[in-house]
Amino acid sequence: MTKKRLYLELENCIGCRSCLAACTQCGGHEERNRNYVYDVNPLVNRQTMPLMCLHCVNPACARSCPAQAIQIHETGAVLSALVEKCIGCQNCTIACPYGIPKFDTEQNLMYKCDLCIDRTKDGIPPMCASVCPSNTLQWLTDEEIENKKQQFNLDNGKWVTSLPYLEGETNVKVNLPGILQGVTKLF
Amino acid sequence: MQRDKFFKEIENVRHPNETLVKTHCSYCGMQCGMNLRVNTVTNKIIGVEPRYDWPVTVGKMCPKGVTAYQQTNHDDRILKPLIRDDASLKGTKEGFREASWEEAYELIAKKFTELQKQYGKDTLSVFSGVSMTNEKCYLTGKFARVALGTRYIDYNGRFCMSSAAGGFLRSFGVDRGSTLPWTDIHETDCLFIAGSNTAECHPTSMFRVWNVQERGGYIIVADPRETPIARRADVHLDLKPGTDLALANGILNLLIQNGYADEEFVNQHTNGFEETKELVKEFTPEYTSELTGVAPEKIIRAAEIYGKAPNAVVMFARGIEQQHKGVDNVSGYTNMALVTGKIGRPKSGVATFTGQGNGQGGREHGQKSDLLPGYRKITNPEHVREVCQVWGITPEEMPEPGVSAYEMFELMEEKTIRGLYLLCSNPAVSAPNLNFVRKALKGLDFMVCADFYLSESAEFADVVLPSVTWSEDEGTVTNLEGRIIKINKAQEPLGESKPDWQIQVELAERLGKGKYFSHLKTAKDVADEFRLASKGGYADYYGATWDKIDKQDGVFWPCKDENDQGTPHMFLDKKFYHPDGKAKICALPYRPPAEEPDEKYPLRLTTGRVVYHYLSGNQTRRIPFLRDMCPEPFVEVHPETAAKYKMDHEERVRLFTRRGEAIYKVKITEAIRKDTVFVPYHFGHEQSINLLTIAALDPISRMPEYKACAAQLEKVEKAEMKKVQ
Repeated sequence: MTKKRLYLELENCIGCRSCLAACTQCGGHEERNRNYVYDVNPLVNRQTMPLMCLHCVNPACARSCPAQAIQIHETGAVLSALVEKCIGCQNCTIACPYGIPKFDTEQNLMYKCDLCIDRTKDGIPPMCASVCPSNTLQWLTDEEIENKKQQFNLDNGKWVTSLPYLEGETNVKVNLPGILQGVTKLF
Repeated sequence: MQRDKFFKEIENVRHPNETLVKTHCSYCGMQCGMNLRVNTVTNKIIGVEPRYDWPVTVGKMCPKGVTAYQQTNHDDRILKPLIRDDASLKGTKEGFREASWEEAYELIAKKFTELQKQYGKDTLSVFSGVSMTNEKCYLTGKFARVALGTRYIDYNGRFCMSSAAGGFLRSFGVDRGSTLPWTDIHETDCLFIAGSNTAECHPTSMFRVWNVQERGGYIIVADPRETPIARRADVHLDLKPGTDLALANGILNLLIQNGYADEEFVNQHTNGFEETKELVKEFTPEYTSELTGVAPEKIIRAAEIYGKAPNAVVMFARGIEQQHKGVDNVSGYTNMALVTGKIGRPKSGVATFTGQGNGQGGREHGQKSDLLPGYRKITNPEHVREVCQVWGITPEEMPEPGVSAYEMFELMEEKTIRGLYLLCSNPAVSAPNLNFVRKALKGLDFMVCADFYLSESAEFADVVLPSVTWSEDEGTVTNLEGRIIKINKAQEPLGESKPDWQIQVELAERLGKGKYFSHLKTAKDVADEFRLASKGGYADYYGATWDKIDKQDGVFWPCKDENDQGTPHMFLDKKFYHPDGKAKICALPYRPPAEEPDEKYPLRLTTGRVVYHYLSGNQTRRIPFLRDMCPEPFVEVHPETAAKYKMDHEERVRLFTRRGEAIYKVKITEAIRKDTVFVPYHFGHEQSINLLTIAALDPISRMPEYKACAAQLEKVEKAEMKKVQ
């Protein structure tokens, strides 16, 4: 089985929030969605973007957890807090540079994206990428991601990113600055 | 069938005590493939799992699709027939009592018989819909004409697809919504998309749409609003609502003037070119710009891209069709493909985004006032004779053609129609000029509504019959490509609910017409009779057996016999369906919208969908996720316009037209023209935007002009606001 990753092409987002609806459908998710879709500038235009857990290689949420409740799966997925270990301190929600972990005040429990681990451990795409109608969220091999990078040159003289990675290396890949700047027109 | 590059062989997750039933979504014409998760202990639908192996949508679903399964076991389901004895409560939810099927059938049979005895056969009417299987659509036509014997049957496709049908019939001589399969779309070089908010209304087309751009192709979008697809388009033609025909003529003129016409194709396969060329000469970029409000350079650029593209697809939807010149708009944009010869080959063609799940199939098989199964005409004696043979009636018994959907309400108002059997539709929200329509419904002597929820229209009924959701019955649906697909049953009907075909068979028996209906004991029985009834018509489904649909991932009509695999691409032989085999390039003089802005009503009102809701919202407004995402309608206003009216974001304001008014929250956005306001149409009661819309009908399709009328905004005084809240 070739390893596949979640890959985000942000410009494709149409704001349908199907990823959020689908997130609630994953077996282990207790019908609560674990990610975000933002209206980037709602009074101006319809641009939206998803904010998904990027599953950091060295995740700040897990490092900040005093109870070691956040485990990292062998596939690299950073799991949701273990119910029996989480002490509800919310360190993780502050530590995460992307604001991913959510907090259930009633249960005093953190919950976050686990990359649909019961699907992805067997190579089945997570629910969000399965349903995403616009291909904003895709489930690709490293080779496919590399091909995209070459097609859509990251540094075209106009657009550069400050780092090769976002806040450190992540298992989920994001295309920055984007597919629209680098494309060569057919005619 | 060639598998496109998105097609993936992915396994599904298997949970213990669960089985997956492969089927399709209940909502729009995309008919996305999905698996319903069914608990094998309770035999109830409990969730959804992507259907990766469906070639059109490869597992993708919009938020409506993901949550569609929640309709089936919803608390709002009607579980038993409801009867209301106090007619003074019509128009409210009050006064219904539960009854047995027997009592409900007896009452309906008695009332229908009395009305027909006193006022004649045609005093009854059937108002239907196309969010149901071909089998149900077919039987509804037979039920009206054979069991009730009335001429008055029509359906909500008049609010949805009838302009596309009219335009295609005129241009091609055949009405198949797409001349090519959706699996071609991402491989074309240019998409010209007019009046379609594709990202919200047909989201699962978007991965193919974006792929055109990713490959270096172009997207051109004509829309008064900067919708999510328009935002990323290479050219956004931001036209005034209701001016599409001018834009189509303007672009056609440039295509001809700049040498993009395919003379050989035009000469050999079309009629009407010279006349059309003469007519569109007037539509220079400057004149077109004056009429449409689109900058001339954008029009020139759009024509250049479409003209140069080796392959291109012209696509459109309700934005151009829901106008009182909707048929002309369809033929007008179709002209672009015919003049340039970009049709009748893979990766090029014309397509409409069908709004309702079975908007295509449902209009072909005899629910329309003038049509019989197989797209036969009720005015053609030969066609009538063919259908009579299947139905077992004599041609003399076949009723005359009736009138269109909106015109039926006019006949109710003048008491020509006194009884109504309504199914699969919610015209108390979806019809235009609702103050009039609701009054007409309230004035009926007797009304039956079959639905699985108590819709706003059911509130006007004397008897409500519990029908089933799509997941509790089986049958075929024809998706927006013209591909006949199979809906499968995942659960037994909830409570005492029954499929519409069964209700109609049983009711026909009570009306003394059992000999024409009693042999139909299963959905499959209806399917077999329906295939036979369509045989020989040009929408021929005879060869589309359920087995073949399963084996081939659907069958594109026409499909004439067992050996016919169907017709994914239309016109590959360059033969069109007019008697001379040629397509018609139409010379179409421009007409403005029926109601233009003036001093008193200076704004243009247009309506449409949001991604979270479907049609009248009777289904989606009950689904928690969808309701939370969009709980109420809003009016989109440009910031400059809002400033002129001194209105703030989220302030409640009154929007009104000559026909009605409603109060909406303001949504300020630069993604709309300054002269235009937009309101979504999915909401009921006092928030229905159709209280305001105009019933100006297209002369051919009888489609109302939902997409353009004149309106005015005003602030709501604080004292009054308190009263409203």
